[in-house]
Amino acid sequence: MQNILTKIGRAALAILAYIGEVAQLAMESFLSIFSMHVRWRLVMRHIVEIGARSQIVVIVTGAFTGAVFSAQLYFQLQRLGMASTVGSVTAVAMFRELGPALAGLMVAGRVGASIAAEIGTMKVTEQVDALRSIGVHPVDYLVVPRVAAMMISMPLLVAECCAFSVLSANYVALKVLGIAEAGYMRNLIFYVDLFDIYKALIKGFVFGLIIVFVACREGLRTENGAAGVGRAPTEAVVISSLAILAVNFILTFALNIIFPAS
Amino acid sequence: MIETREITKSFGNKAVLRGVSLSVQNGETLVVLGRSGCGKSVILKHLIGLIKPDSGEVFVDGEPVTGLAERELTSVRRKIGMLFQSAALFDSMSVEENLAFPLQEQGIRDLKVINERVAEALEMVDLPGEQKKAPSDLSGGMRKRVGLARTIIGKPRCILYDEPTTGLDPITSDSINHLIRRLQRRLGVTSIVVTHDMKTAFHCADRVAFLHEGRVHFFGTPDEMRASKDTEIMNFIEGHSGDTDT
Ligand SMILES: Nc1ncnc2c1ncn2[C@@H]1O[C@H](COP(=O)(O)OP(=O)(O)O)[C@@H](O)[C@H]1O
Ligand SMILES: [Mg+2]
Repeated sequence: MQNILTKIGRAALAILAYIGEVAQLAMESFLSIFSMHVRWRLVMRHIVEIGARSQIVVIVTGAFTGAVFSAQLYFQLQRLGMASTVGSVTAVAMFRELGPALAGLMVAGRVGASIAAEIGTMKVTEQVDALRSIGVHPVDYLVVPRVAAMMISMPLLVAECCAFSVLSANYVALKVLGIAEAGYMRNLIFYVDLFDIYKALIKGFVFGLIIVFVACREGLRTENGAAGVGRAPTEAVVISSLAILAVNFILTFALNIIFPAS
Repeated sequence: MIETREITKSFGNKAVLRGVSLSVQNGETLVVLGRSGCGKSVILKHLIGLIKPDSGEVFVDGEPVTGLAERELTSVRRKIGMLFQSAALFDSMSVEENLAFPLQEQGIRDLKVINERVAEALEMVDLPGEQKKAPSDLSGGMRKRVGLARTIIGKPRCILYDEPTTGLDPITSDSINHLIRRLQRRLGVTSIVVTHDMKTAFHCADRVAFLHEGRVHFFGTPDEMRASKDTEIMNFIEGHSGDTDT
């Protein structure tokens, strides 16, 4: 019994220590952003890398999720004669929950892994030390540009994910399943409001920060040569994915206080 | 110019440095000898604050370095250039961009000046015209020399060389040895050269430190070292392991 308690206690402490480390990296990055010139050329390069190249993944994910979600809703709701609400329910679910979470998980897999691998390789090949020896802080050069790129890209990616999910849901509902368009569109416009879009964008922004800081932390802490470089991306993806799901739960309640559901 | 006082450093439970005291005067060349894995690279990294000692102090121009935060170390690092054992070229950049990087960080923006200095530095390490190559297309010895060019391009007052000639052919080694001497003579550069190449040691050194079991086992001039009757030193100079074939 005591053994189990000790283990749980240790795990809790390890998680707290990890959060502390990531928070410290975040603080250093924001201090750097506010106190210094940001390297915009690098930011642009990472926007291409992080943002532009993630679009396909995020759009496909959103589109298929929207499509199956509206089909399943239709199978259930048409029996109750409520088929016209399929579009609004899908849109609300996508904006408030699925869009940001799915986009977050996909970007964690694609971008988080590559950031951790890239910085991790630089760490074990002494390139990070070489930067420092030239008098360049690794946070300024490696972390801040990626953070800035992520802050710009992630809300846009979430917006794309949500937009395409609603479009594909509409297509499935109206063209494939033959739901009457007038009632469907009226519900969609009536039940989806600006707050839902805010929620999607804010969640996306927060998840983006989680991904980039966890990935940079894993990269900068990489040790033990090739084995370490192999482990860093895996850890980055697993940890940031779990963190996204947990933070999503907290954000759902917090955002409902700020933007109450009508 | 640089001094360490009794620095100790352990990684995990492995004590690598057990109290290392060294000093280099302005304009002098100190060669640090010792077997692989005895902590030579670790010492160099302490001098510019890349690693913090467990105890002991490092002084650069009389100022303590040990307590400085990462951002406060910039001024020290601008004075001291370091050639890494692995060369540590930025592999996302071409040779030219690698060399231009320290200059840009010093605030030099004029492309003409940068191009001239890059060409000049590549000339010095015998790699003229290699600007456009990617580090991954270079041989080990070439990478090392590009690393050296990146180290000297910022005209530091002091240069730390981590095994500058390891992996180079004898001719190139010799030209690197002369380059180290020339930088010292012409520009008054203070140097610390880590090596186990005895030719480099005797060619470049004003003083030699021999590292053994985490301490400075010998500290003196090359001539004193050659004359030493200490078995560890004699075995090292002559390359005797004490093993036999049978
Ligand atoms: N960052 C590090 N983490 C753990 N061990 C290290 C680290 N850097 C060096 N070591 C260990 O310290 C010892 C000395 O390494 P080093 O200074 O590279 O030797 P050398 O004299 O060949 O340059 C080695 O045993 C190495 O494994
Ligand atoms: Mg070494």
